[in-house]
Amino acid sequence: MAANVLTKKGVSCLMLNAGPEVDFERDVVTKSVHELPYRGLGKPGRLPHVYQANEFNANQWVDEKEIPYTHDPAKPYNWVRVRLLGGRSLFWARQSFRLSDYEFKAAEIDGTGENWPISHDDLAPYYSQVEAIFRVAGRKEGWPQFPDGNFIETNYPPDSRSIKKVTELANARGFGVSKMRSSQGSGGLASSINLLLPDAQATGKLELVSNAIVREISVDNKTGLANGAHFVDRHSGRERHVKARVVVLAAGTLESTRLLLNSGLCNSSGVLGHYLHDQIYGVSVVASVPEARDGKAPPGLMGGSAFLPRFRNLKKTDKRNFIKGYCALIGSGGNANPNFFTAYGEELQQKVDSYAGSCVSGSIYGERVARFENHVRINKDVVDAWGIPVLHIDVKDSDNELNMAKDAANTFEELFHEAGWEIINKTDKFYPPGYSIHEVGTCRMGDNPKTSVLNKWCQSHDIRNLFVVDGASFVTCGWQNPTMTILSLSMRASEYLADQLDKRNL
Amino acid sequence: MHEALSDNGHAMKRRRFLKGVVAAPVAPALLGQQAAAPTAPVGGRGNRGGAAREVPKLQFTAPDLVSEPVARFFTASQFAALQKLSGILVPPINGAPGALDCGAPEFLDFLIGASPADRQKLYRNGLDTLNAQSKKQFGKSFAGVDAKQADIILRPLMVPVAWAYDPPKDPVKHFISAARQDVAAATRNSREASIAANATGRRGIGGGGGQYWNPVDPTHKG
Repeated sequence: MAANVLTKKGVSCLMLNAGPEVDFERDVVTKSVHELPYRGLGKPGRLPHVYQANEFNANQWVDEKEIPYTHDPAKPYNWVRVRLLGGRSLFWARQSFRLSDYEFKAAEIDGTGENWPISHDDLAPYYSQVEAIFRVAGRKEGWPQFPDGNFIETNYPPDSRSIKKVTELANARGFGVSKMRSSQGSGGLASSINLLLPDAQATGKLELVSNAIVREISVDNKTGLANGAHFVDRHSGRERHVKARVVVLAAGTLESTRLLLNSGLCNSSGVLGHYLHDQIYGVSVVASVPEARDGKAPPGLMGGSAFLPRFRNLKKTDKRNFIKGYCALIGSGGNANPNFFTAYGEELQQKVDSYAGSCVSGSIYGERVARFENHVRINKDVVDAWGIPVLHIDVKDSDNELNMAKDAANTFEELFHEAGWEIINKTDKFYPPGYSIHEVGTCRMGDNPKTSVLNKWCQSHDIRNLFVVDGASFVTCGWQNPTMTILSLSMRASEYLADQLDKRNL
Repeated sequence: MHEALSDNGHAMKRRRFLKGVVAAPVAPALLGQQAAAPTAPVGGRGNRGGAAREVPKLQFTAPDLVSEPVARFFTASQFAALQKLSGILVPPINGAPGALDCGAPEFLDFLIGASPADRQKLYRNGLDTLNAQSKKQFGKSFAGVDAKQADIILRPLMVPVAWAYDPPKDPVKHFISAARQDVAAATRNSREASIAANATGRRGIGGGGGQYWNPVDPTHKG
């Protein structure tokens, strides 16, 4: 996004990408699962932290042996990375939400933590532009916790009776029930490589360099300003340096922070690397609709989905044993996982067949609290394939996450039970931190240089010609997919940056 | 006879090969009308004139079609127990091949043998426990028990698993849970299941296919 905005404003940009570019025709082929060496079960131990990996997509993720990271075995962290031009925008689920003032002004609601230095109103014009570029489809609701946007009008099919039932029950509890909002993109892709970079390059102002692994930001000792970057050519290992008037980092939350830590920059506050957080995934309740069993579901009973944006802790009077909240996703018409049953052989197959298509499931994305103690630091004892020290990640969940997960599982159980459905599985367990691939924080923004790394323009408090425009600037993550917010913050920061260049302030 | 060995197959290959050999010198001649354009063998270092290289397409046979698996990881008694367990967990059902038809135990011998130590230990201990329990209760190894006896051993070990990443604490129950998933996947994703799915037109038998990512410009190792 930064390259898109800056080049359109006439700023010459050089973009260093750590990975190669993707050629879908060359790099992706159709295969039967039995043709794969491990029958689709994957090479054992290859990507121990990437639960999303399978044998089909294993090569799209960062090789953990080539670029390792460390953590205490008792504090697992799943850092899920992609090093290709376009990064994770090549593979994201495209769920497209705005943060609301329940997140931007979270400290006022939660009674703890920090507010962002901006509000939804500050970011709204940028959200609208990003939603237009990414062609976000959604239904407008007018709810403050779920800000509407510049959406493509979408005709959702009528809800099935099972979705209507759960909607009624949720509404009776005061929960708003809506539909998923998602980026349509173009040609089946909603990525920087098709929606942002081509326009940037068409200006003639963008030079793209691939396979350039930035080792360190260089600084002019006289001015204290950033003046370029040292990088390593991925294939040859050659060391290079490039000069720059302004440095913009968008390497992904933890890689940007790793680079700043390895460069020894932007940490006068002592909070660089701190407040790492993301969202909890994994909580799940599955129920079976009795009338839909044995393939006897009447037309219109099953199918479809509902989306419930955050409904907990919206009022200060809503006192619970956790702060913040979660969104709920409900899907109808699914199958039962064989693991839910104690049977085996033919008996198991009969059960699975009987429950097929009769299931309604509920799952969540829940907000983890940003805490100072959850942080990353450099592990000088371990280096990657190019000799660059790696990150040590030190993150642990608290009772807030555990209590939130329990609340979610109990809420689904209550709804489904009241609907008259058979609960066939319930878990309040969730994946380790990082699994959501929504890691944010570690360079959080704020008005106070003593408690934040960046100002409200994603600009370093310490080095005014250095900007960080990925998820690292987040103060709180909310339950929302962060992509729309990252892009909007980047657009806003880039316009500010271009303006400052015009005014010769940088 | 396999097509690759048939007369037609040979003829087809020969035709493709000849086409490739002829194409190499013609293309540069057309480009530059160079009377003395050097000719180079297909794939040779001298082929720098921009001519498209047409290498004959050779037919290959999947190794599984012409060979038998060799179990190397488990001991004989462990492997016999795994075979028995696999056949019980995923028998042939409604025309779909079972775990034994699909070579699931042999595949798991390979997979577990290539796995981290904790997974290997889980399987080895689990299979040893099945053998020990059947010796204790029925005086024979697990491979020798009948269906009723196997059920007496297995039924108490079957527990629902609400979440795959929160397996049962008891290591034998954990093993049974893991084996149930692995045997089912090894069966469903086998070539045999795929052939059966294609033959019967039934969905849900074979593991299907997907978009496979080749390594994208892997790092040069020298």
